[in-house]
Amino acid sequence: MTSAAIRLEQVTKTFDGRVVAVDAITLDIAAGEFFSLLGPSGCGKTTSLRMIAGFEHPDSGRVYVGGRDITDVPVHRRDMGMVFQSYALFPHRTVVENVAFGLRMREVPRADIERRVAAALAQVALTGLEDRKPSQLSGGQQQRVALARALVVEPPVLLCDEPLGALDRKLRQQMQFELKELQKRLGVTLVFVTHDQEEALAMSDRIAVMNKGRVEQVGSPAEIYEQPRTRFVADFIGEINILDEAGTARALRPEKIRLVTPDGARVAGRVETANYLGGSTLLRVRASDGSSMLVRETHAGERASRTPGDLVGLTWSDQDTVALEG
Amino acid sequence: MTTRGRPSPIAWLLAPAALLFVLFFVLPFGVMAAMSVFSGNPVNNPNAFLTTRHYERFVFDTAGIYHDALWATLRIGLITTIISLLIGYPLAHWMARMQSRLGHALVLMAVIAPMLTGIVVRTFAWMTILQDKGVINTLLIQWGLTDKPLPLMYNEFGTIVALVHIYVPFMVLTLTGVIGRIDERLEQAARSLGAGRLRAFVEVTLPLSLPGILAGSLLVFALSISAYVTPSLMGGTDVLTLPMLIAQQVGTSFNPNFAGALGVILLLVSLAIVIAYNRILARLSGEQGLA
Repeated sequence: MTSAAIRLEQVTKTFDGRVVAVDAITLDIAAGEFFSLLGPSGCGKTTSLRMIAGFEHPDSGRVYVGGRDITDVPVHRRDMGMVFQSYALFPHRTVVENVAFGLRMREVPRADIERRVAAALAQVALTGLEDRKPSQLSGGQQQRVALARALVVEPPVLLCDEPLGALDRKLRQQMQFELKELQKRLGVTLVFVTHDQEEALAMSDRIAVMNKGRVEQVGSPAEIYEQPRTRFVADFIGEINILDEAGTARALRPEKIRLVTPDGARVAGRVETANYLGGSTLLRVRASDGSSMLVRETHAGERASRTPGDLVGLTWSDQDTVALEG
Repeated sequence: MTTRGRPSPIAWLLAPAALLFVLFFVLPFGVMAAMSVFSGNPVNNPNAFLTTRHYERFVFDTAGIYHDALWATLRIGLITTIISLLIGYPLAHWMARMQSRLGHALVLMAVIAPMLTGIVVRTFAWMTILQDKGVINTLLIQWGLTDKPLPLMYNEFGTIVALVHIYVPFMVLTLTGVIGRIDERLEQAARSLGAGRLRAFVEVTLPLSLPGILAGSLLVFALSISAYVTPSLMGGTDVLTLPMLIAQQVGTSFNPNFAGALGVILLLVSLAIVIAYNRILARLSGEQGLA
């Protein structure tokens, strides 16, 4: 399967002439990359995806796929696969008819359609459910039909708008593995919209964190987590402590803090709450000056020992803190 | 779910509707059907006897008007339904997909407004527009586009124009509800898979709105074949529909028994058409129809 690079160049989209959904963003997505657009609702991630798909036309800026300017190409000629949040399966069509739709629109010969649909269904482990209607399938199965329907036409680009949002946690995790594996196997460029930071960290090659129509930071999951550039990114991804050191804000992850005896520690305070999370315990420590800090105590070996009311000391090394802009 | 044999306490709320249905539909229809097989009124005429002569009169149609009246009724009903669908569907689709709430409210008002004026008023309004000395013909003659007035009313054309105007809101309201419940993303999915806008509509939205088309068409068809005021006023002497014939039999010929037979025939014929229509649409959509 071929794959194509995507470039958004200074793309702006305004709704109703007032609300700026996407504000002059520029993004480069490499061919074959698993790229996530991550941010809270209303940050412009879905609008950006819909501009790549062609459902929205940018007010200004250009969209390129495989080096070709497709800004003015209508949706049905863009040759992209798309998986919708609610799957958008055709309820009046069977599984086979749903998956065959894109091939039928491309006027592929009937025999080829049958062969390719069967192969696509086998790929997502749905063989045997060919004649069911979408309403007769479980959420996970519907998800796979949507995936097969988008991929059967072998698009160079696959767009996913929160495709796993409707699944329960266990199934979602399983689908995360399957989707990532499928993407690597096919080599397709995948643009994935999500508000779930764990999901983005787990699946992506690179992530663009978006806020208020702008891109705050682009980087690998490790970069985004370990080297957040702005206060928003630090705060949005995982738990964070923001320290004020001589006027500059510095971010410090809770797991970088060590618990020591109160004497000679950087901060001394009392444990206010202790949330047991299985692999670790997240403590909220109230310092003597009234500020509070989050500390992650990992359980390697012995069980957590701190309980609310305990007096603890906190320390960390300066190289674990990251300077933030804004 | 409620258990079998123990109806929900709310079931009692259906009682008024059930009572109305029995009192004003089942009972009158029973009386009408009974009257249609008697020679006279058996309540005050002891010599009345059972007979099939009213049905024979219709079937053999020696006067040559009853069959014509039936065809005219069905023809007017069918054409009115088709035109209402052609006008109503795009309007309903536009309304259902409208983003602006204010816009939706305004269009809804515009659609419903004609229903707030009575049928008689609206029919008279059409008369002032369509008659020989009406707005259209006066203008056409003034501009020299024609020397004698076009026959715009006192015929089937005028009747259908007025009926469509009166019944389009029923079509629009029925269709808007159904189309509004179709997820827009289905059409978007079809487009992302390579279907143009028209193709996506034909493949997805149209088949999914078939239940609405069915319901709206049946409603408009049922209303137009039973219409009396509009065909009487707009049709003049040119149009004779079954409801007009029935009114004649009751009002001027004093033959309620024959009127009853005509009523039963109208009901049976329209029922047959409805069932056939439902079957065809159900087959088209590959799903169960409404009835």
